[in-house]
Amino acid sequence: MLETINVSKSFKGKKAVQDVNLYLDKGESVGLLGPNGAGKSTTISMISTLIKPTSGEIKLNGVNTVNKPRDIRKVLGVVPQELALYQELSAYENLKFFGSIYKLKGKELEDSIQYALEIVGLKDRQKDLVKTFSGGMKRRVNIAAALLHKPQILILDEPTVGIDPQSRNHILETVRSLNETDGTTILYTSHYMEEVEQLCDRVYIMDHGEVIAAGSKAELLSILSSEDTIKLELSMIDENFVEKVKMLEGVRKVEAASSQLKIISKKGSNLISELVYLADSHQIQLLNYQTETPSLEDVFLHLTGRTLRD
Amino acid sequence: MRSFIKKDIFLFLRDRKELLVALLLPIVIIFVLNLAFDGLFDSDEEAIIDLHLAVVNQDDQENVTELLQEKLIEEGSFDEVEAAAVAEQASYAGPVEALSNFLESEDLQDWVTVHHLDEAEAIGQVEQGEIDGILVIPNGFTIESLYAALTGESPTVSLSYKMEEETTNNGTIYDIINGFIDDLNYQFAMQQIAGSNEVEVVQPQGGVEQLGEGETFTMSQYFTLAMGILFALFLSITVAAKTGEEIRQQVFDRILVTDSRPMLFLIGKMVSTFILAWLQISIVFVLAHLILDVFPGRAVDFWLGVAVITFLFALAVAGLAAVFTSIALQMHNVDAANGVFNVVAMVLAVLGGNFVPIYIFPDWMQKVSEWTPNGLTLSMLIEWLQYEQVSSLIMPSLMLIGFFVLCALIGLAMYPKRGGAK
Repeated sequence: MLETINVSKSFKGKKAVQDVNLYLDKGESVGLLGPNGAGKSTTISMISTLIKPTSGEIKLNGVNTVNKPRDIRKVLGVVPQELALYQELSAYENLKFFGSIYKLKGKELEDSIQYALEIVGLKDRQKDLVKTFSGGMKRRVNIAAALLHKPQILILDEPTVGIDPQSRNHILETVRSLNETDGTTILYTSHYMEEVEQLCDRVYIMDHGEVIAAGSKAELLSILSSEDTIKLELSMIDENFVEKVKMLEGVRKVEAASSQLKIISKKGSNLISELVYLADSHQIQLLNYQTETPSLEDVFLHLTGRTLRD
Repeated sequence: MRSFIKKDIFLFLRDRKELLVALLLPIVIIFVLNLAFDGLFDSDEEAIIDLHLAVVNQDDQENVTELLQEKLIEEGSFDEVEAAAVAEQASYAGPVEALSNFLESEDLQDWVTVHHLDEAEAIGQVEQGEIDGILVIPNGFTIESLYAALTGESPTVSLSYKMEEETTNNGTIYDIINGFIDDLNYQFAMQQIAGSNEVEVVQPQGGVEQLGEGETFTMSQYFTLAMGILFALFLSITVAAKTGEEIRQQVFDRILVTDSRPMLFLIGKMVSTFILAWLQISIVFVLAHLILDVFPGRAVDFWLGVAVITFLFALAVAGLAAVFTSIALQMHNVDAANGVFNVVAMVLAVLGGNFVPIYIFPDWMQKVSEWTPNGLTLSMLIEWLQYEQVSSLIMPSLMLIGFFVLCALIGLAMYPKRGGAK
């Protein structure tokens, strides 16, 4: 349905996005993962025709949208990362404005507003000014504004940043319902790994402007099929201790955070006795030892050497 | 288009701070200035009125009776006996003496100082600001005015009043001289001399201007007009600042992805600014009038004229808003853009006489002032306040329309293409 072919974008000679290839099939839910500055928002801006790629093609049903952007604008809904709303207007007034510039009128416009408000669960607060809403409610209106023209493809750029867990769950449920019930194709960008894992059939991982891995969740996890993830909880963390752990045979990556240590090692390395010995020699108490099933977060760590929130 | 206009008007009306600044602040300032200047004039009224009038008497009053008699015989078809009798009687009327007596009467001498000077000397003193105006009594004035009074014909010479610039003092002297002419007419009538006297103050010639027959304007009227215009001018910045917010919050991007024509955004800004500026300036004028009785006794025609002038000014403000909006969309730093717009508006306000009356500026600044939309509007309104002459509004109206068209074209030309906004 939608594909980008070797899409690149440079700003003043500096490449923000390089040779990005991705595709979305009809009715799919696809995740775009990457830390801040990975190039996700630039990629979305190019797909949504806000900026033109320096090179490459973006095709909707085989037609290049770079030179013919009107077709994609009609079928695309974009939920920007920022709260792109008028705070001084009510939720209803915001939706009425955005609906009317989608050229909706009269009953059709009114029905679309009520449909969008119903989906995001804000029908009873529609007359309230957006500035009086909580962060989560604002995010929901932000989504509603992208649903007015019933888009076939919905792009959500970090839609859950900075909100409470309840609102976050509501948004995730909304996205899932749009995808599963209404058949809306979803491109969901986030740096919350668990959201992407929960919502998406396939995932693209971006870093430094490039897609570094792509595939279904199982395919991505298979990257780590030859590795174990060990999680240690310690009484304290010592730099010497971490360095020694890194030098152990079979250890591929070590990530330290407060009193926890995450170790990715070659499958079957059986490090437990050596870790206990090392901890003891550094006078560190080993409080918990856990072998974990690898997650997409681990895949990202494996591919980039850093976490999504770095 | 309607959605864009409605949205901008809603956003402005919902912003209480902006509303207070646009509507309440000008009224408060007008009220404070009115109080301040009223107090000033009340306490210093006696001391302030000290008018200096130069009287240049070029009239040769030798042998008036004989010359008048000759003129009556030659031009007025009087016989010799009748002409002699009438001339003798009329020569007692002495219009120049009557004028001198009037100007130096007890009623006037406390606040009018008369200087008898020759013309060159008088002009020199007017230019130095020592004299407020010159009353020229031309040669033949006595004979001509008496002859006119006796025959009922129009006089061929008349008094002329000259001044360097239009001031309240000059207006007062002009009124005094008019009062004298009325008095003179009355005296002629009482003496039952046939016909009516046609002495009149004529238009001055050359480089010295004359005060017309308009009404003078008060300081509270001046400040009402100036403040109304000033705050409407600042609306163009408010609109541009809101554009900055729309960019910052990505609302502008959201509008762009909807496939609506981007230009509608700018046109919506222009139309909403026009509506808001016109409404704002009208509300300020009407409120100032209702609270302070700024324009007492004015008929509907006056208010219609004000509505037309403010309509044109609102167009000019809309044009300015278009330029500012396009610049805001091009600049990386919205705050810096707002700073620049404020400086531009302040310069326009100073040049346009919105802070201090234009007539205290040097000539070149007064000329520049008329090239600013606010300065031009202010002088249009003052002129309308004084004369209510439609013909005097045509040229400045065209200039305001021209300013709007020019700004709108610049705004449209500078408006960034999709993806070009910062």
